[in-house]
Amino acid sequence: MSALPAFEAVAVDYWAVAPMLVVVAGALLGVLVEAFAPRESRHSAQVALTVGTLVAAFGVLVWRSVNHHSVTFGGSVAVDGPALFLQGALLVMSSVAVLVMAERFGGVGGDAFTPMGASTPGSSQEAAAAKAGYATSEVFPLTLFAVFGMMIFVSANDLITMFVGLEVLSLPLYVMTGLARRRRLLSQEAALKYFLLGAFSSAFFLFGAALIYGFAGSTDLAKIQSAIAQGTTGMDGLLVPGVLLLIIGLLFKVGAVPFHMWTPDAYQGAPTPVTGFMAACTKVAAFGAILRLVYVGVEGSRWDWRLGIAAIAILTMVVGAVLSVTQTDVKRLLAYSSIAHAGFILVGVLAFSKAAVSGVMFYLVAYGFATIAAFAIISMVRQGGSEASHLSQWAGLGKRHPVVAAVFSLLLLAFAGIPLTSGFTAKFAAFAPAVTSGGTAGVLMVIVGVLASAVTAYVYVRIIVLMYFTAAPEAGEGEEVVALMPSIGTTVAITVGVLATILLGIWPGWALDLAGRAAQFML
Amino acid sequence: MTNPYVPLLILLALGFGFAALSVGTSLVVGPKRYNRAKAEAYECGIQPTPRAQGGGRVPIKYFLTAMLFIIFDVESVFLYPFAVAFNQLGLFALVEMVLFIITVFVAYAYVWKRGGLEWD
Amino acid sequence: MGDAAVTIGTGEQVMFWILAPIAVMASLGLVFARKAVHAALGMALTMIILGVFYIAQGADFLGVIQIFVYTGAVMMLFLFVIMLIGVDASDSLIETLKGQRWAAGLLVLGLGGILVSAVGSVTYGLSDGVAQTNTSKGNVPAMAELIFGRYVWVFEVTSALLITAALGAMVLAHRERLGKGPNQREWSRRRFEKGENLAGLPVPGVYARHNAVDTPALLPDGSISELSVSRVLSAREQTRSPLADLEAEDAIRAEIESGSER
Repeated sequence: MSALPAFEAVAVDYWAVAPMLVVVAGALLGVLVEAFAPRESRHSAQVALTVGTLVAAFGVLVWRSVNHHSVTFGGSVAVDGPALFLQGALLVMSSVAVLVMAERFGGVGGDAFTPMGASTPGSSQEAAAAKAGYATSEVFPLTLFAVFGMMIFVSANDLITMFVGLEVLSLPLYVMTGLARRRRLLSQEAALKYFLLGAFSSAFFLFGAALIYGFAGSTDLAKIQSAIAQGTTGMDGLLVPGVLLLIIGLLFKVGAVPFHMWTPDAYQGAPTPVTGFMAACTKVAAFGAILRLVYVGVEGSRWDWRLGIAAIAILTMVVGAVLSVTQTDVKRLLAYSSIAHAGFILVGVLAFSKAAVSGVMFYLVAYGFATIAAFAIISMVRQGGSEASHLSQWAGLGKRHPVVAAVFSLLLLAFAGIPLTSGFTAKFAAFAPAVTSGGTAGVLMVIVGVLASAVTAYVYVRIIVLMYFTAAPEAGEGEEVVALMPSIGTTVAITVGVLATILLGIWPGWALDLAGRAAQFML
Repeated sequence: MTNPYVPLLILLALGFGFAALSVGTSLVVGPKRYNRAKAEAYECGIQPTPRAQGGGRVPIKYFLTAMLFIIFDVESVFLYPFAVAFNQLGLFALVEMVLFIITVFVAYAYVWKRGGLEWD
Repeated sequence: MGDAAVTIGTGEQVMFWILAPIAVMASLGLVFARKAVHAALGMALTMIILGVFYIAQGADFLGVIQIFVYTGAVMMLFLFVIMLIGVDASDSLIETLKGQRWAAGLLVLGLGGILVSAVGSVTYGLSDGVAQTNTSKGNVPAMAELIFGRYVWVFEVTSALLITAALGAMVLAHRERLGKGPNQREWSRRRFEKGENLAGLPVPGVYARHNAVDTPALLPDGSISELSVSRVLSAREQTRSPLADLEAEDAIRAEIESGSER
């Protein structure tokens, strides 16, 4: 035994991973609060703790981690420009999303969440739990765990790290999807569908990782890259199937067609603030992982699989745009819109240039802020105590609640990519590299992207017309569609979303510059 | 060099052999006097229900117990190599392991305090 | 050991050709079994055989963990879930989407074909990495060095996964008691306030002949006391009739009386 090299602990750059450590520490504290704090004070304590943790983590990231670009933990974690940029974006967006989740509308616990997840929907026990002031404040530590997983995901430099990150971010989301206060059966069904398809996609990812390991003899992205560069004899057959399976596993999470089946159901069934969180942050995390995988790990083999992914991108844009036309539920409509957006972002990913990385990152930020605010508004619009998510219920909202309708219209215009909103800049930032460095396929994808944008613009404008130029149907006393008065947290969240949308639309230079400077991957 | 699994296989064979022998011997040697009461499940006279309450479904509470078991089972998977290689690994691994155990015990504290282990 | 990994021994070959078909059949059973329990058992069998394969290939730790965690713990969880939905529950044969089965089968064949042709075209070099590790460091210590070395971050992160599992299970499956349950003092106070059955319910059984819970007690006038047996047993019609005991008693009494006359 003495001849063997002794075990040496890996070198760890603690400042590089400090933001993640802060988040997981906050999550653990949150669990302890759930265990020991008295019931009445849990909600406020959790909200304060969660937002505080996220802000503190962001502070640490800006203060220290930005100077600690490093590949640490023996190469399994890479904290580089894109990782830090996306982690920062995740932290800011999730703190905004948590503010929306904390909305109580005068109740005891979070308004969107069931008082007791284990009670039978519609049972007397559920009503009694609501009356007794029970609340599922576990969603806050769960959110922190999800954010932790997302941060791991965007900084994972090893397929095993990436897989564990994927699970850490997914598990809390599956649970949170099933905790809606209203329409609980729908919510539980959504959670089950999301869980089953998510587990299925994890299996794809693992299968791909196994094939890649067979090819490269390592799960380290750097080693995979050098194995591709050297070329191995006889094992090449494993590479392309492996890469495709890995990417398919990741595309499940962003909801690219044909792996989008869970998206509309999960988005509709989940508590609306969770939908916002999921749509914004999961997309950031998953695209972060895709970027690292295809730019760092398997970039050398891209000519073998690029066209397949391009086909998926085109399909995603077309299906997302076309099916959003037929939707009658606002949440489902935004779900299909998010599918289309995933396609637009994929166009940027496939351009394979540094500008593309920054464009994609900018797009993710722009889309994320608008999405969280949009779902926050959907959670405010009510009819008879439940969310008015059917499109027809939104008719005439502009007359009764001009501010709410105006804000929602602005966000929709951003989704559509109208100039002077963040959506336009984002689309430009993602599409331009595809034209310059994407070749014929890139140009084709951009053409399809622009056409799909036009289709989705029609859908969004239709909603705006509905809100402003259609009379609301006659409703009895107490049955009108109203927008509830949001608390300070939700107001802040919506304001941040709107400001980001306008700011990134009118004055995007600084953000594009920041993304551009952060766009260099490290090995 | 003999395969290290040979003793295991022998033990397995011995186990099967012993079980077969015991059951077989009692079949041959034991007295057989059957009556109706002996064939019943409970000798106190209660008949077992033809169908369990709730269509044979067990309460969800068991799931919690099973889940907790899995958590500590998985923990032990990491504990085993840690214990085997403890001498080589040194202080760093000890600290990491303690951190890991503390984190998992946070979950345990939560389940305990919230009454997940109570059975009423 | 170094040679053993490069050329596959006869024993291992025999074992493979016996166990592999069983594993394939068990996994087909997992897919096609109508009853959830049968599917779960098929899965357990497949996983045990996989564990045996791992051990045979020199990955002792992995093999033991496979049996210990998957076949032991995870399968147990599966069986629990099956018990939760009812052991008798079985698949519905109704297709909600028409033609879905055929389309799925076609796509599976396509994907399988692509994968098999791609993976099948590979010429595998003979690797003896495991054997080398086993002889130089030992299987488990080498594993430990990876877990606490390069993958120590992943290892710590796993604990987050475990906590999430506990949180999720509690949130979705644990019904907290709404308010406090009454204690014994509370119960007895209630009983006296109601003024019924102050001394408790009558116990079941007749004389010394039967004290089983399914035999109702007899009141002084010879009628049956419904209160003395559990309502559950009466609802299931599992109570005995004490009248047979009365007949026996009459017989004894008659015997005693006839004896005194003699």
